[in-house]
Amino acid sequence: MTQLQARGLVKSYGPTPALRGITLDIDEGEIVAVTGPSGCGKSTLLHCLAGILRPDAGEVSWRGHRLDTWSEAARSRLRRTDFGVLFQFGQLVPELTAAENVALPLLLAGTGRRAARTAALTWLERLSVAECADVRPGEMSGGQQQRCATARALVTEPRVLFADEPTGALDTLAGEQVLTQLVRLAREHRTSVVLVTHEPRIAAYADREVVLRDGVIDHTGLGLDAPLAGGSR
Amino acid sequence: MSLATLTRLALAGNRTDAARVALTALSALLATLAGLAALTVLAIEKPPGDAWQQSEQYVNALLREPGLRGGTAFALVMLTIPVLALAGQSARLGAPSRDRRLAALRLAGATPGQVTRVAMLETGLASLAGTVLGLACYLGGREVLHRPDDNGQLALPTDVLPPVPAMAAVVLGLPVLAAAATAVLLRAVATTPLGVVRRAGRTGSPQPWPALLIGLGVLAAAVVEPIQWALRGAALEWLALVAMVGIFGAVMGVIFGAGWIAHLAGRTLHRLARRPAALLAARRLTDDPWASSRTFAALLAALIIAGGAAAFRASFQLRAELEQEQNRLAGFGDDAFHDSFYLNTMDLVDLAVAAAVAIAAAGLLVTLVEGIVSRRRTYAALVATGVPRATIGTSIAWQVLAPVVPAVLIALGVGYAIGRLLTGDLSPGARRPDVPLEQLAVQGAGAIVAVLVVVGLGVLFLRSTTAVEELRAT
Amino acid sequence: MSTPHLLLGLLATGTMHGYELKRAHDTRLPQARPLAFGQVYATLGRLLRDGLVASTGPERLAGPDRTAYTLTEQGRATLDQWLSSVEPPMPYVNSPLFAKVVVALLVADVDRARAYLVAQRRAHTERLRELTALKTAPSVTVDDIVAADYAIAHLDADLRWLHTTLDRVADWHREVHP
Repeated sequence: MTQLQARGLVKSYGPTPALRGITLDIDEGEIVAVTGPSGCGKSTLLHCLAGILRPDAGEVSWRGHRLDTWSEAARSRLRRTDFGVLFQFGQLVPELTAAENVALPLLLAGTGRRAARTAALTWLERLSVAECADVRPGEMSGGQQQRCATARALVTEPRVLFADEPTGALDTLAGEQVLTQLVRLAREHRTSVVLVTHEPRIAAYADREVVLRDGVIDHTGLGLDAPLAGGSR
Repeated sequence: MSLATLTRLALAGNRTDAARVALTALSALLATLAGLAALTVLAIEKPPGDAWQQSEQYVNALLREPGLRGGTAFALVMLTIPVLALAGQSARLGAPSRDRRLAALRLAGATPGQVTRVAMLETGLASLAGTVLGLACYLGGREVLHRPDDNGQLALPTDVLPPVPAMAAVVLGLPVLAAAATAVLLRAVATTPLGVVRRAGRTGSPQPWPALLIGLGVLAAAVVEPIQWALRGAALEWLALVAMVGIFGAVMGVIFGAGWIAHLAGRTLHRLARRPAALLAARRLTDDPWASSRTFAALLAALIIAGGAAAFRASFQLRAELEQEQNRLAGFGDDAFHDSFYLNTMDLVDLAVAAAVAIAAAGLLVTLVEGIVSRRRTYAALVATGVPRATIGTSIAWQVLAPVVPAVLIALGVGYAIGRLLTGDLSPGARRPDVPLEQLAVQGAGAIVAVLVVVGLGVLFLRSTTAVEELRAT
Repeated sequence: MSTPHLLLGLLATGTMHGYELKRAHDTRLPQARPLAFGQVYATLGRLLRDGLVASTGPERLAGPDRTAYTLTEQGRATLDQWLSSVEPPMPYVNSPLFAKVVVALLVADVDRARAYLVAQRRAHTERLRELTALKTAPSVTVDDIVAADYAIAHLDADLRWLHTTLDRVADWHREVHP
């Protein structure tokens, strides 16, 4: 079942076009890698799909509802309930402990502090960083920070996880561990994942690869068993 | 490095750097004006005659009476304190981008000393521009305001000029002082080629020892009067010094105590917090409680003076009332002569305090905006993950208000206590002035409203600093 | 790949029969081409001749499978020497990928070369994904992961080369046909 639909997305930063007409469907539980060279519009596409940016033209639909016409407040609410967002680095609040960082989205949703902490500890455990629960981000390794960030992105059990170069700041082994756990948990919970990366080996974790070039889809790498029509070449 | 290269590097920078330079120059200008005004008052020559011979050419008694001129000059110098605090706070404006620039200089091969010199030169030149402009304003103002009234009296001492060396000391000394202060501030920061690492400052949680300083200050104020009585007016100079040191100690105690209050407020808030906004604020307060000390220093100092001024005003008011009563009893009637001089002077002091609070609020705004800008990446990431901007704004409000409300109360209380003890009783067993609750409440509320306005203005910056583009910045 | 040294190494863990050696080889090197029985016995024969292994047990009656082999002192010394020598790092570029693009440019045109590169890239990507899936399967062993890592790293390198070559193929063609 299609969760997220993009139709003819166009977005420019001043005179510089970032997206020049992108059409893309993301199914439930599907892991889609968005790749391409630097400046091809990968991150902009992710921001438009996640409702962080409003496209200049085209539509984004979430389960059949036009997301791009919603107010900022409504899109914010969607981002903290049905979506999870994961960046390359610097997303944890430095003054909060790992457990508090992970509990933050739940607290925003009105969960009590005790329940939020319990859930946070569970997710830290699932990402094998339970020992960091009462440690602050500055005292963790990059890999631990990124796993805490992953726990925070997944703690609300989102339907779609948006990950923008989640392993970009990590060494190969740490990056691989983060990604392996992310993919495993996403599959267990049937969470769709939009994974932006410039590395082929990271994109290989996805079911499907969408390669952008100069703001359009250059080609799509087929998954193992997921045939897909489309692609400009 | 040649001076030309050094100057070129010192003046390279973006708009934030330009704003910092402008604010530094403005603070230097204000400080120069205050300093020169104080010097002018001190330069008034006492006409020949006995010790109470007045300088009849002035309208205002503050300038006429030789005994009051020292106090007037002192008050003018005191007014430079919030100005200097503003200068210190604006020095942090845009500091992250400047730090990056300095780090780039280090990467290009500059020594730590050269980098410090670049930063010192920037502050020094900006301050020099400010002081020179201040001197020009002063000299120009003298000409413009030199207007004797019908009695040939002057509103301001525009007929005297301070000695040239003293003026030169202000105009050249302030920039040197500012540059030296920059060097000292940069010592806390190690500029490596890879960026700026803040050296670990004070660690551990603050202890309530500043309360001791406050206690000593109040004690000093309390003993002044009994000693004065015991000595029957002799050796007043050192006694005044003891009182000054005591007051200074109390001011420092309140300022350092703000760190402890912030820490305590943070801990309490953390225990009670139900919402993420309060939790974020609580953690930031316990994480760097000294930030509150730094941020509110000028405001709290101004409020201590305000509390003291309220005590003095109450005492003067009571004295005026008693005099009037005695006049009435003596049969002079209600409209007999009554000296409103002291109350008028208190109006001037209140005006100065209000100006100081306004300047302190400006400094607070600078610090707040700087704090928001330097944390923009985290804030932008939070907004991207669906945290409403309102939550972040609320957390900033909590973080400012939780420590400032108790600190303001303590500052006013300490100020009032010292003022009350210094004014003493008119005579043993006489009527005592009532606590001027109304005026203290107005002062406290005024300060907190000023802080609220500042928080509101600061939160306006959130929108631009949480734009998704910030996620790409490092 | 040096099969004699591999077999010596496997025998260093203890005495083994021929078929045991083959099985040990295939488990330890999961992504390598499986070893044929004939190759195992031929190699063992050469090692026996050179005195690097010794056959134990005269159980000739039960056929060659019943002979167990053990490492000799000399064999251990040879193994040590092999282990401490460094392999020459890529002395020649002899990749079929590279050769094929060169030939495509010589005998055909840019489009032909580009079509090949795109097709090869797709094949590489699919293999990369297969190996990644294998690596992230729940029942994976470290043997599998290390072997897959090796292949993934090389495929990744090839893929980077394919990407950059796709961008350079026009310039390259101009150089080949001035």
